[in-house]
Amino acid sequence: MTHRIVGHTIGRLDGAGKVTGADRYSADVTLPGLIWGKALRSPLPHARIVGIDTSRAKALPGVLAVLTAADLPDILVGRRMFDMPLLARDRVRFIGEKVAVVAAVDPDVADEALAQIDVQYEDLPATIDLAKALDNGAPVVHENAGAYEGAPKERPHPNVQSVLRFKLGNVEAGFREADRIFEHTFRTQLAHQGYLEPHAGVVAIDADGRVQVWASNKMPHRLKELMSLALQLPQEKIRVNLTPIGGDFGGKGSLMDLPLAYHLSRVTGRPVKMVMRYAEELMAGNPRHPSLITMRTGVTNDGRIVARQVKSLFNSGAYAAFKPAPSVHLGGAGMGAGVYRMPNLLIESYCVYTHNIPCGHARSPGEPQMVFAGESHMDMIAKELGLDPTEFRRRNLLKDGDLLANGHHLEEVRAKETLEAALEASHWSTPKPGPWIGRGVAMTHRHIGVGFTNARVRLETTGNVTLVIALPDTGTGAHLTLRQVVAEVLGLAIDDVQIELATTDVFENDSGVGGSRVTHTGGRAAYHACEKLKELIAAETAKLGTPGASLAAIAQAAAREGRTLEASHFYDAKTHAAVTSFTAQVAEVAVDPATGQVSVRHFTTAHDVGTVINPIGHQGQIEGGLIQGLGYALMEELPTEDGRISTLNLGETKLPTIADIPPLTTVLVEDAVGPGPFRAKAIGEGSISAVAPAIANAVADACGVRILDLPITAEKVYFALRAKEQRAREQQS
Amino acid sequence: MNRTIRITVNGVAREVEVPTYRTLLDCLRYDLGLTGSKEGCGVGVCGACTVLLDGRMVSSCIALAVFADGHEVTTVEGLAGDERLHPVQQAFMDCGGFQCGICTPGQVVAAKALLDTIENPTEAQIKEWMLGNLCRCTGYYKIVESIQAAAKAVEP
Amino acid sequence: MNAFDYRAPATLDEALALLREHGDGARVVAGGTALVTMMRQRLVLPDCLVSLRDVEGLNRIEAASGAIRLGALVTHRQAEVSPLVTERLPVLAETFRRVATVRIRHMATVGGSLAHADPNQDPPVTLVALDASVEIRRAGGRRELPLRAFFRDYYETALEPGELVTAVTVPPLPPASGAAFIKFLPRSAEDYATVAVAATVTLEAGGERCREARIALGSVAPTPLRAAKAEALLRGARLDERLLRDVGEAAKGEVDPLTDHRGSAAYKREMTAVMVGRALTQAWEEARRASR
Repeated sequence: MTHRIVGHTIGRLDGAGKVTGADRYSADVTLPGLIWGKALRSPLPHARIVGIDTSRAKALPGVLAVLTAADLPDILVGRRMFDMPLLARDRVRFIGEKVAVVAAVDPDVADEALAQIDVQYEDLPATIDLAKALDNGAPVVHENAGAYEGAPKERPHPNVQSVLRFKLGNVEAGFREADRIFEHTFRTQLAHQGYLEPHAGVVAIDADGRVQVWASNKMPHRLKELMSLALQLPQEKIRVNLTPIGGDFGGKGSLMDLPLAYHLSRVTGRPVKMVMRYAEELMAGNPRHPSLITMRTGVTNDGRIVARQVKSLFNSGAYAAFKPAPSVHLGGAGMGAGVYRMPNLLIESYCVYTHNIPCGHARSPGEPQMVFAGESHMDMIAKELGLDPTEFRRRNLLKDGDLLANGHHLEEVRAKETLEAALEASHWSTPKPGPWIGRGVAMTHRHIGVGFTNARVRLETTGNVTLVIALPDTGTGAHLTLRQVVAEVLGLAIDDVQIELATTDVFENDSGVGGSRVTHTGGRAAYHACEKLKELIAAETAKLGTPGASLAAIAQAAAREGRTLEASHFYDAKTHAAVTSFTAQVAEVAVDPATGQVSVRHFTTAHDVGTVINPIGHQGQIEGGLIQGLGYALMEELPTEDGRISTLNLGETKLPTIADIPPLTTVLVEDAVGPGPFRAKAIGEGSISAVAPAIANAVADACGVRILDLPITAEKVYFALRAKEQRAREQQS
Repeated sequence: MNRTIRITVNGVAREVEVPTYRTLLDCLRYDLGLTGSKEGCGVGVCGACTVLLDGRMVSSCIALAVFADGHEVTTVEGLAGDERLHPVQQAFMDCGGFQCGICTPGQVVAAKALLDTIENPTEAQIKEWMLGNLCRCTGYYKIVESIQAAAKAVEP
Repeated sequence: MNAFDYRAPATLDEALALLREHGDGARVVAGGTALVTMMRQRLVLPDCLVSLRDVEGLNRIEAASGAIRLGALVTHRQAEVSPLVTERLPVLAETFRRVATVRIRHMATVGGSLAHADPNQDPPVTLVALDASVEIRRAGGRRELPLRAFFRDYYETALEPGELVTAVTVPPLPPASGAAFIKFLPRSAEDYATVAVAATVTLEAGGERCREARIALGSVAPTPLRAAKAEALLRGARLDERLLRDVGEAAKGEVDPLTDHRGSAAYKREMTAVMVGRALTQAWEEARRASR
């Protein structure tokens, strides 16, 4: 079905403020009397704080306040599990934990003040290694984690934050049925979301005693709730003013430094701005969890999967505070079965405390980790069985009506179509152009995000329509998409629809941005609000008795009677739809045998999509996620030694550059079956998770070397090749 | 220690007193109110702070404000001149060369400098010139397209 | 950053006098790309910053009896696009072009790069292969030093307190020569080299045997280094696979790399051999073309 505006290629009309630099992000907000806050951070992974001397810092000219935990109420914060103090009280648990904050007239004076604070620490034994954190006698990160508000009950070891289990059938029976059983273990690295805007916020207390907040946070209502708890103030006393956000990718949903900015503002009587330096992001910015995943799969000789057991450990670091799910776990844990039917399945996943950087949500939380393991594992099994990796997948793909590990039945499954589309577009079956060139395939799928959103549409006397929402702009293009929905339903031109961004005073609640839900929840809220407005307009037109009246005329007529024509809708998508969105990707790589260097010659990405509302925005999400996946696969890492992250500048974490992108083919398998407006699905987190295994599988195809831990560096491939050659020589002699 | 410096910013002569440790970026953003240029990495790598100093693109986060004393600086706010949008800015909107927008001021300033230096750049030349402008949202494909479109638009 | 005094002298003599006056508390700045970054991280806290940005006469690129003389304040970008450099020593222009990004190259200077002495930098490698020399000035004196003797250790040079690099002079290559610079980047396209090699090959009359070769290596030792043992194997030799392997192995034995984010010491040693082979092959091919 074709629509008038939905689905048409229109430019990113929402960009004038971005291309001109006119948009004000949180770090750009300025208020009279603004001062700067900065945090002092722990240099040790686990230590008792013996004493803090702030006297020299306080005496520095230009310093207005210095606070330690002693100056603050004993409050713990978190997104779901409240285990993190505002400032370390008697002990630090990771390198980078905040120990004190200062407020000064400019950031350089603040830095000078930090250098003048003396903290005496007493080193304590630390638990650094993920695999050892659950040993008997491993140093305990939190003595009584179960006592924290929001803590899950199950705690087989003090260093367990949360455990998730998924079960289908009976794995022991399944393994007995298997002809062959394979087990492999995979590791993924600590990696940052890499948004270019570091966390920033401004907090001011206005003349009415209300706390005004501007922050790089993508869930303003939840932020208001969390601030209320952290500051021990009623929610009505707090207003979050929305600002555009310079990249989120899961990492900008927490309080971060905002409560401290509040306290500095409270004691100085001045608005306070706190902006993290990128080095602080890299040591304390809630990055993606590293993982250690073992997969064990039983198959029949003809390549049917009869059983799978997965054990995953996620290195969650010193605090659970940054994880927002009620389970205090990562959704990716449930992806242990991948896109395959598994009659017998047991997934056991642990989020583990260590004295490392606390991790949080990153695009597709837990999924790039689990899918790297699962899709590599599939290829390794196929090879052992002598089966083509695509054929092995075909024999096991999910079908309509299949049951997922989370209990959901699937409908409108497009797994096969998406796989075939990727294989065709990548010329999978054609001979490779030369030696040391390989192809690899990988698949994943994802549910469409759920949440709740309020939307209001208002007919202006100009005949334009204003869409009022409290969803910040994180860059996805959602605001334009929502305008398109409104324009489509109300029969308007896109230029006649504008967004009015609400503060948290306007609507009661909104789950905010995240989980690839905004097209769905924001779109449906806007859609239904427009339907209501249409009815109001129709009624108004009937009253006026002028059937051909313009919208402007109708609005003006109502205005003369003191009425505004507007309608609201609250949309709450309580449960996940029975449709998911499949992704199939093919990497074609060349390996330089002399150096091990992997270059991606071509990448194909196929997506099973619903109605695409904004093609340019949609494609942008695919491309952006994919290149994040490429970085994760080949180059990104925050290496850690003894709990110390050694890459403390963005240049060293190796985000991909413009020269690193491979030629790309995108295939969209379109079917209007999504739960979003006009049957849209979701795309934001669809393209990232299968990239690493597609590349790992391609490398194995190119040179026979299987890399089991990310990133796939030239050095790893080089030494694996040399070891392989050595083994071959030994076998010959 | 403060210094009074004179910088011509986007064609306008400005005079401002700054501490010697003030970076050019902080001077533009906080002393002169031009918040279009952004601080990302703070070490000159990501390009979010790209401005033109005497027409040449530089990392303003690792340049001292005093370096610009007596010189000309062009920021994203000055790209359009008298027009509403410079062709590069229009092209980024038409092609979707941005998403969150935090790197975009740096991207468009760098792209304008590229088109001032190389007429009709090849894809390889675009990638080499833009190597230092990181973007985490777009995956770069639409940035390349935007610059190619802008090059056609500025063709004489 | 800390609060510091900032001086911007207009002449070299003024600059040198300021350095002598302030001693240890002064730091010199030109492009600032390295120094300002370190100051922002509070790794360097100078009392006084002496800027050379306004000093007259230090930014010329000129021919000097066949050699090329680059003033200390010549930026990387100026060297990269200079018609003189691209024509007479294309390998040097190409090397400057590989440094970081255009933004950095617009600010970072030739002299600053040498004085900073980060062994991961690219231009010193090629300059050492080309047998460049540096001019050094102090208040009331000057001296010249071969670049090979200028670098002492990580971030350490032969500069005495109060001394400045004022120019670097690069002699021409002999006839029948070729040169190549290889920067091995196994991670992303923008990085310091895991291993860098600059090689020159000069052929004997007849164009078959190597008369002389120079191999300079970067990122594999505390300073850029010349692989003298490897060079010796090339003298009088014909190019073949066996020679390239032997030369690579010899070079491998002369390096002392550190393990860091760009590779382990073992990997860098292996890649030294590989990249030396590739650089020599390229340089030799160019020398063959030049000798026809």
